[in-house]
Amino acid sequence: MSGAGPRRPGAVLHLLAGCGYLLLLAPAIVVAAVSFSSGPFLAFPPPGLSFRWYVALAGNQEIMGALATSALLALIVSLLALLLGVPAAYAIARLRFPGRTAIAGLLVAPLMLPALVLGLALLLALQPMKLVATWPGLVLAHCTLAVPFAVRIMTTAIAAVPEELEAAARTLGASPLRAALRVTLPLAAPGLFAAAALAFLVSFDETVVSLFLVGPRLTTLPVELFRYAETRTDPLIAALAMVLIAIALGVVLLVERAAGLTRTLSKD
Amino acid sequence: MAETHLALSGLTRRFGANPPAVDALTLEVPRGALLALLGPSGCGKTTSLRLIAGLERADAGSVRVAGRDVTDLAPEARNMGVVFQSYALFPHMSAAGNVGFGLETRRLSRAERAARVAEALAMVGLADFAQRKPRALSGGQQQRVALARALAIQPDLLLLDEPLSALDAQLRDGVREEIRALQRRLGTTAVFVTHDQAEALAMADLVAVMDRGKLEQCAPPEALFDAPATPFVAGFVGRSSRFEGQVEAPGRIRIAGRLFGATETPAPGPAQVFVRPHRITLAEAGDLPARVTNRVFEGATALLTLDTPIGPLLAEVAAADPFRPGDAGFATLPPTALRVFPL
Amino acid sequence: MIGWLLAAPALCVMAFGFLLPVGVLLRMSLNRTDEMGAMREAVSLDTYGRLLSDDLNLSMASDTLQLGLGCAAAAVALALPVTLSIRAAPPAWRGALALAAVAPLLVSGTARIIGWLAILGDSGLVNAVLSWAGLPAQRLINNWTGVQIGLTESLMPYAVLVLLAGLGRLDPRLDEAAATLGASRSRVFWRVTLPLAVPALLAAFVLCLVLGISAFITPRLMGGGRVFVVATEIYDLALQTVDWPAAAAMAMLLLGGLVVLGGVRAVMARR
Repeated sequence: MSGAGPRRPGAVLHLLAGCGYLLLLAPAIVVAAVSFSSGPFLAFPPPGLSFRWYVALAGNQEIMGALATSALLALIVSLLALLLGVPAAYAIARLRFPGRTAIAGLLVAPLMLPALVLGLALLLALQPMKLVATWPGLVLAHCTLAVPFAVRIMTTAIAAVPEELEAAARTLGASPLRAALRVTLPLAAPGLFAAAALAFLVSFDETVVSLFLVGPRLTTLPVELFRYAETRTDPLIAALAMVLIAIALGVVLLVERAAGLTRTLSKD
Repeated sequence: MAETHLALSGLTRRFGANPPAVDALTLEVPRGALLALLGPSGCGKTTSLRLIAGLERADAGSVRVAGRDVTDLAPEARNMGVVFQSYALFPHMSAAGNVGFGLETRRLSRAERAARVAEALAMVGLADFAQRKPRALSGGQQQRVALARALAIQPDLLLLDEPLSALDAQLRDGVREEIRALQRRLGTTAVFVTHDQAEALAMADLVAVMDRGKLEQCAPPEALFDAPATPFVAGFVGRSSRFEGQVEAPGRIRIAGRLFGATETPAPGPAQVFVRPHRITLAEAGDLPARVTNRVFEGATALLTLDTPIGPLLAEVAAADPFRPGDAGFATLPPTALRVFPL
Repeated sequence: MIGWLLAAPALCVMAFGFLLPVGVLLRMSLNRTDEMGAMREAVSLDTYGRLLSDDLNLSMASDTLQLGLGCAAAAVALALPVTLSIRAAPPAWRGALALAAVAPLLVSGTARIIGWLAILGDSGLVNAVLSWAGLPAQRLINNWTGVQIGLTESLMPYAVLVLLAGLGRLDPRLDEAAATLGASRSRVFWRVTLPLAVPALLAAFVLCLVLGISAFITPRLMGGGRVFVVATEIYDLALQTVDWPAAAAMAMLLLGGLVVLGGVRAVMARR
């Protein structure tokens, strides 16, 4: 039954794997289909195809406002994540100093907490400071979530650049700062792209923590999406979900072109 | 005699609680000379080079260049050109970019900088490869770019870490001569690290032999070869046969019951003796009965292994010599050929 | 020294965005709520006692744990064939397949659930197929079933990531050796591949369990407000009832449970 050559997985494995992939990809595919539905319900298969829900989406002031807020917020957060994360990552990857492991641990700690608990904790802490439902509050919360990712990615990227290159630059007269900026960082550039993109997505898609920190005059797109899904069941949310998916895919593809994301994943 | 350009004094580096990697290294290098740091792996030669360059911080001792104490200076302030074993070329810059990197922090106009870069590349024969990135260059070409990069800054000192070890065997001799010629022409004082003693003896003006962090001997190649100062140097540099015996009186040493004369002996007591193969003569008559057990043809000479009453003895003879494995004869050990050290 | 300076800005964010809030959370959990629902400053364990002595809470916690266990197990079981197929795929395909398995993570959880609502809903795909086949319609959303399905799917990408990393260390030559000794494909799987994969499977299971127990969006949306787990309870206590001490105390209890699980994972990792 089995011929010579490298072992090929059997039909059973392929069947089960196929079921797995189906499960993973079905929601996204269905959302795409339903978003073009011409009917008023979240029905599948849709009665007909139309753009009406995308049109309705564009005309929905609240949601469009939330989209702008989320995009701007994500942009700010990804920039801040780089500004804060790159120096910290450099210190962790290159320098030896007491407390380095503790700092590295602290910089990853927020990811260990369930988003719900962090959201509640932030609400309790920011309320007395009157920072709930404000831009600084949201930026702080999103940065707390995004910086760990940026630090992790950049630490790996910087560590992958041979230390000897910086030593060579030093012997040629470059100060440690110059050596880092002219040699190490350019060579770690793919990591910069990935970190910025991931920070953007983490902020753009962030739902649970934001639920605690938004208010009547300041809300994010994922929160609006959640609230809408809680109360209504028309394909508008499918169209909105598609927009979110499209943006996330766009960012991933951008990073893939610039930095080879799938290579990093398959190396894992 | 040129004045001292590089002076190391008591240079020491420790890692943790282990014995020092470099232990009180003290030596002087005249201006324009080429010093080889030679020794087995782990002897501290690369660490010493890094201490001179400032890539490691010394725990004790000093490094002086042209009288100036540079021990506390950061690498970027020492004006030393370093050629790393792996070349350490910047992958994202062209050859010209690499060579020009060290000039960026100096006050040079763009034209001056370009001229210096072109000059450096021409010096190593790579003028046409200026725009190539390192990955488009062969190993030998990469090394030359690394050399040009180190020389472009007109360094006070040129430091090379195992410059020939990554090269193919047939390239080695040629590159060796090129580096030597370049260094001589520029008159730059240089230090290079190697574990290959033939390379050190062929290239260097001065050889510092190190073992386990300590300096065994620092001398010109001939002195090292003919007059090793320590048992380690005697055994490490060049081939030799080693015996143990007893110094009974000045000039007299007993090995395996037989008495030998030696021109220099330490105080009476247990001793070790080294004899170079090319000092042994093998004939029909002599002091020591010997039987040839092995013969290795080496071109102009042949290396014979002799079985003698004092143990196996290596003898280097002319290739035309008639002795073959199984032949018996007599070996003579001239007193001047015995290097005796206390045990 | 420079290290501290370089990391300082990031550490500041961590201090204000993480350390301070967690501290406040702990402090709040020690406050009390009076009969009228107002918060009273205190340092006491009363709120903890109140929560733990409430049978509803205990059964809700037990439901949450069961949900987590079941979904974690299902997620790992389904992720294993996916991971094995990635490893067995030709190198050119491997990256794309891995991305397909992990891509759902980059898509907002809410967006995926909307897809599930469309698949499992009354007018959704599954029921459309069932009615076409003449079978009775099923209630698959706004109940535990919908939550289980949605949660399992959302955990799968995490399981795939852990399994990919863990199985990546397995030597494929062991499989080949077993084959040359005459083992059939299924025998190789059950006697060689699977036993060696156990550490990775356990690690994936624990991760999924941790995520499943603290899940909020899926139970809330797929459950239609009728499914109560620890996370939804904390949310309601904080924003609906506005009983902050209770919300904080329950959050601390959840953290405590997760710390215990983390300890279990650390013990397992050492073996």
